[in-house]
Amino acid sequence: MSKAHDMGGRLDVRIIDIKSSDQKFKENWEKDVFAITLALGFSGLWNLDRSRFARESLEPKDYLQFSYFEKWLAGLINLLGENGIIEDRKEMKDNFEKNSFRKLEAKNVKKLLQMGGPTKRSCVTEKQFKLEEMVSVKMDNSNGRVEGGHTRLPDYVKGKIGKVIAYHGSHVLPDTNAHFLGENPEALYSVEFKSKVLWAKCENKEDTVIVDLWESYLEKIEI
Amino acid sequence: MKKDILKQFHKGFPSNPEARVRALKITLEKEGLIDQKALDEIIDTYQNKVGPLNGAKIVAKAWTDKNFKAELIGNTDYVLKNMGLNGRQGEHVVVVENTEAIHNLVVCTLCSCYPWPLLGLPPNWYKSDAYRSRAVRQPRTVLNDFNVKLSSSKKVKVWDSTSEVRYLVLPQQPESSKGLSENELVNWVTRDSMIGTGFPKSPKGK
Repeated sequence: MSKAHDMGGRLDVRIIDIKSSDQKFKENWEKDVFAITLALGFSGLWNLDRSRFARESLEPKDYLQFSYFEKWLAGLINLLGENGIIEDRKEMKDNFEKNSFRKLEAKNVKKLLQMGGPTKRSCVTEKQFKLEEMVSVKMDNSNGRVEGGHTRLPDYVKGKIGKVIAYHGSHVLPDTNAHFLGENPEALYSVEFKSKVLWAKCENKEDTVIVDLWESYLEKIEI
Repeated sequence: MKKDILKQFHKGFPSNPEARVRALKITLEKEGLIDQKALDEIIDTYQNKVGPLNGAKIVAKAWTDKNFKAELIGNTDYVLKNMGLNGRQGEHVVVVENTEAIHNLVVCTLCSCYPWPLLGLPPNWYKSDAYRSRAVRQPRTVLNDFNVKLSSSKKVKVWDSTSEVRYLVLPQQPESSKGLSENELVNWVTRDSMIGTGFPKSPKGK
């Protein structure tokens, strides 16, 4: 079942407010949420996939109502709660170990932001698909290992056939990394889908949508 | 008291995010987990230092230097690293080129992934539900919202940023800007032209 955050192709008639503020932060608390989330992202307590999962795990009603930084705030509170730093969830036991916590210091900010968190891994993993090959996306886009878990396979391409147009090497698999089940790097591809394959009413039959998909999201086409 | 504020969070709309964040900060500071100076540095980076000017410089250089353009497209991460333009949310970048036959448009339907080191933080509309849901299904109607009109013979390619690969559109250079220097061209490159929701523009008409 698709979750609130999985928005691609959802019927939405709203006009995009292109004049919507370009101000990066409307209020001061938004700066704090942004900076604290990034700073603690370097602490080693969780990873990027986990923090995305924390935001996606909001109640659908909340996800749709909250502003962008309200979602970040809610996600941050979820993360701090599950680490026992704040008493967010009573049933969570205090598993926070301060000695393994890496506090971000001002002198390291520039270096760490520049480094970022590359997800490409040098190991060469099995690669089943070739460039130009037609592939099928699996029908089930739920996380196979964790019920209700994180995935980066959008609902609107499941079961659809597309063409591999790029191979990006082996990348950390969000489906396991978000749940601390290992990085499990897999081949990552860009797969191009014809719009007419995705949508019953497509605007132009030549248009396409390209989605980055991991090896385990894809299947060979039976001939 | 502050814990009560935090606990309430999941119950409905955060009516007072400011108070919650304040409570959160006090807790984190008391535990010694955050350093205000580091937070200030992060905010300063994204508020004042990193923005679409970075992307514009690359585009202007690609317009005026064929070899650079070929290397930028063929070996993007290496080129960006050498220019100090890689980094968080831009660790793996792919440059997609607009041509007479193809118009590229970038979206992230699952969250709001965006090439931070090249464009800064995303504008509000990029993060909106309407953009995230509509861009893949009806890109031409979306482009119309942005006053971008394309002939039906031009193919639209929509790039959904589902992995850690970030996409930057290399827009077509306007005819009227041909012959200008790299430095002058930088001012023609708009943020939206690098997302695909706009075209480069003369700085006079901006």
